Amino acid sequence: MLLIRAHSMAENREPRGAVEAELDPVEYTLRKRLPHRLPRRPNDIYVNMKTDFKAQLARCQKLLDGGARGQNSCTEIYIHGLGLAINRAINIALQLQAGSFGSLQVAANTSTVELVDELEPETDTREPLTRIRNNSAIHIRVFRVTPK
Amino acid sequence: MSNAKERKHAKKMRNQPTNVTLSSGFVADRGGKHPNGGGKPFQAQKHEPDSGTSRQRQTKMTQHSPPEPDVNEQSSSKVMFKKKGGWKAGPEGTSQEIPKYITASTFAQARAAEISAMLKAVTQKSSNSLVFQTLPRHMRRRAMSHNVKRLPRRLQEIAQKEDLSYYCCLELKGKEEEILKALSPMCSIDTGLTFAAVHCLSGKRQGSLLLYRANKYPREMLGPVTFIWKSERTSGDTSESRQLWIWIHPTLKQDILEEIKAVCQCMEPIKPTVCIQDPVLSPSQEKSQTELPEEKIGKKRKRKDDGEDGKPIKKVIGDGTRDPYQPYSWISPATGIIISDLTMEMNRFRLIGPLAHAILTETLKAASVHTEGEDTEKTPHCWWVETCRNPDSVSLHHRQEAIFELLGGVTSPAEIPAGTVLGLTVGDPRINLPQKRSKILPSPEKCQDNEKVRQLLLEGVPVECTHSFIWNQAICKSVTENKISDQDLNRKRSELLVPGSQLVLGPQESKIPILLIQQPGKVTGDDRRGWGSGWDVLLPRGWGMAFWIPFIYRGARVGGLKEAIVHSQYKRSPHIPGDFPDCPAGILFAEEQAKNLLEKYQRRPPAKRPNYVKLGTLAPFCCPWQQLTRDWESRVQVQGESPVASCPGGEETDLRRGEVLCAPTPEKSHQLSDEVGTSLDDSSEPEGVMDTECPAQAETGWVTGQDAPGSLLCVLRSRQSLKQLSAWCGPSVGDSRAPRRAPSRWQQELTREACQAILDCFPRALVWVSLSLLRKGSPKLHTMICVPTKEDFLQLSRDRLYSGPLESKHSDPFKSQIRKQKEKKKIEKRQNPGHAVSKGLAGGDPAAEHQALTLGLWSGPLPAVTSHCSRVLLGFVTQGDFSMAVGCGEALGFVSLTGLLDMLLSQPAAERGLVLLRSPASLQYRFARIAIEV
Repeated sequence: MLLIRAHSMAENREPRGAVEAELDPVEYTLRKRLPHRLPRRPNDIYVNMKTDFKAQLARCQKLLDGGARGQNSCTEIYIHGLGLAINRAINIALQLQAGSFGSLQVAANTSTVELVDELEPETDTREPLTRIRNNSAIHIRVFRVTPK
Repeated sequence: MSNAKERKHAKKMRNQPTNVTLSSGFVADRGGKHPNGGGKPFQAQKHEPDSGTSRQRQTKMTQHSPPEPDVNEQSSSKVMFKKKGGWKAGPEGTSQEIPKYITASTFAQARAAEISAMLKAVTQKSSNSLVFQTLPRHMRRRAMSHNVKRLPRRLQEIAQKEDLSYYCCLELKGKEEEILKALSPMCSIDTGLTFAAVHCLSGKRQGSLLLYRANKYPREMLGPVTFIWKSERTSGDTSESRQLWIWIHPTLKQDILEEIKAVCQCMEPIKPTVCIQDPVLSPSQEKSQTELPEEKIGKKRKRKDDGEDGKPIKKVIGDGTRDPYQPYSWISPATGIIISDLTMEMNRFRLIGPLAHAILTETLKAASVHTEGEDTEKTPHCWWVETCRNPDSVSLHHRQEAIFELLGGVTSPAEIPAGTVLGLTVGDPRINLPQKRSKILPSPEKCQDNEKVRQLLLEGVPVECTHSFIWNQAICKSVTENKISDQDLNRKRSELLVPGSQLVLGPQESKIPILLIQQPGKVTGDDRRGWGSGWDVLLPRGWGMAFWIPFIYRGARVGGLKEAIVHSQYKRSPHIPGDFPDCPAGILFAEEQAKNLLEKYQRRPPAKRPNYVKLGTLAPFCCPWQQLTRDWESRVQVQGESPVASCPGGEETDLRRGEVLCAPTPEKSHQLSDEVGTSLDDSSEPEGVMDTECPAQAETGWVTGQDAPGSLLCVLRSRQSLKQLSAWCGPSVGDSRAPRRAPSRWQQELTREACQAILDCFPRALVWVSLSLLRKGSPKLHTMICVPTKEDFLQLSRDRLYSGPLESKHSDPFKSQIRKQKEKKKIEKRQNPGHAVSKGLAGGDPAAEHQALTLGLWSGPLPAVTSHCSRVLLGFVTQGDFSMAVGCGEALGFVSLTGLLDMLLSQPAAERGLVLLRSPASLQYRFARIAIEV
């Protein structure tokens, strides 16, 4: 199972209210840490909400197609989306499939990713706190079914 | 058999893997026809391994021993030599040697080994060519050699390293409460956590704060520092002596050191116990003290040299930052605090980037623990032997090692708690230096999702593991002195039995105490969190180069001061000392910068440089902060006195206010601004300005800093106020994310009263802001930040692609003056050619006046800076460029707090926080969004 890199405003939507309700923001500042993740393989694509959709789609397509003469093309790629970016990851995968005339298939996995929030104290006497918050993620495997 | 032939063959075989046979030469017949496991005869197959045979064969051949001494052992070679003779004689000799059978598995194995060896030899880059020369020709680009971005992504740098050894370290030793009491007046909880923050005080984390002159907050800033406390062995015992290290940028050192000495009442110097040995080196070091930038370079160079010429006779004791005969340690009789200046006592390297962990864990290997059985008598590293006798220390060492190994499984340093400190004792990194420079990639096996990593991420490094022997100066000194020199190390390496194999020094190997400090990277703001995070490695002196090269050999790239500035800009953090206009070093830096820029400007011919007067840029080389804040104060006062709607006119400033607030139709406002522009130009005849504003301006001289302390520049650094401002700057209302902000009950609404409350606390203050351009444009140094008018917003709402308004060209009242002067001089010259030279030398009145005028620059005191152009000036950019990290132009700078609040109040909620930027050498305004990141 792969873990996902934090991207933009994608993660953390709902639990924020809960955190803020419990803690006085005068005493603590919320600092979100990067999620733990695995090193990126060449065929991993982490989708975010900052980059243009078209650019991300083109990147995936390029990975699948390979170079000018079709060299270095991947037979399968993994598209990962975290939180808000799940929607976009699905969109990209479906667009790839739709544009492939049936040569691409998708297989999706979902998972839960633990994210760490650090609460920095505003007063000297308090210890910093950490909180774990879960967020959903999707991992879509896009692969070729018919050999080229 | 001929000797020459054998020698030739031996030469050919020299660089071959032992189990690879050449298809030519004297084994060709057998090896070629019946290649069976390296071409050995079948009778030898049973009792001798493959490679052994061929090696023996080789040695045999090079030895040329004619008689066969040992029949049993060397049967194969004997056979071969016989066969060789036979081959020379004729093919019938070899026919007997054909093996009856071959074993498929051994055969295949041998071939596989050969193939892999050959593949390795083929793929390995053997030449000393540059990286880009290995690229196929069609992929090369001309600009590659000087622009790394032109290289394919896979060959670009990933981890960056920076030598921060020029940073100065001050050490405070004494009772914890005494130190805290002494230092507390120098910092304010308003600006963030202080020295007393719980997690920093325990030694677990590095802290950072801003120092002020004692009890002078919010004015008289001294500069930003980072600090670490040494963790206490026994917790809770406050009477214990504690150690505190404060790291300072060298430009800030003198001021901060003096102030700390004052607050700790440490005036009694302790005579240096180390006798100064190096009279030869000190003059050159003192020379490097004269100028600041040079000093830094000099120090850096010296650090590097230090590592190289580690000859025990030539120990370097002095350093570049202070006179070796000056005391560097002071004690206070009243409080018992000892202050020592540890500058250049340690090396500090900063590793930044996603590969930082991989490089760290690969380069540094925890020191091996001495066992009882080992011969520890002769080792010079007795401190380590002693440590190893204590089982507690050994177990602590193992725990530290385990945590350090875990780091290899963490992909980004930003996943670790900010400012984490980890102590470690490592072996000599030169010993397992790779043969070639290569790039280390994180291994996925290490990155398994395990519970230990999770715990490390959640809780950070335990307090005990922050302990390091680097705090102990005696040990550091011994480590430095007992460093084995590169020369000795290389000699030992050359004496190794198998070249290229691992050198084992055993107890002779140096053990180096180090301290690792995590740098959190970008923590403020919403986007790109953790950008530029990394680790700082603290090393004892003398060990710089020994660690530097191994880091480089594992793929770290080196960045210098230039890269550091760009890095801090992308991180949106203020650069020291350029972005601290309120501290003495910052003022000095700005002065120096202005001087350099002016010199550069004057080196160009007038036709080839921008005429800043015509462009309406009053101060292209410096930022008149004092005047800016003063102007804004008077603007707002005037505005408060007169009712806004009546739009009185007469005073220019009022007219401008009216233009912004009354929202006239675009045409009208355009007319207005034109009118104002012309009237301004008329009134800005230098004579007029001098008459009216001269006295006030003369005293405004912003760099003098000799005004009454009350009027000194102040930068808003109160976290609470900044948070407030940050919330106001965003275009919150109407946004989908607005509900998020709503529940924060501590946030006040943006009202005139709330603004006034902040202004009362911080009159004439500046605010550090970051700006990102909406569309085109890359801001430059000293770009002007201006308030957009209603009309600009109207244009922007009509056309999303609207790039921004244009400033109308100003007239240059100085040009005619310069021309007149020139003519006058010419006439003078013509009238008395002999006289002119002497007059010029004497520096008479006209000559001095002439020198003051430079074509294209505003001479004399500046007129009202805020209202000089068609858009009201709000502040200046101190760092700005196209940001590769975001992909659009970004800038950092200061704006007047008064002006910012005034602008925010007058802007409609939807467009709140939009400003205009205009580079000093351009008439084009560009839209940018202002943000305050806390």
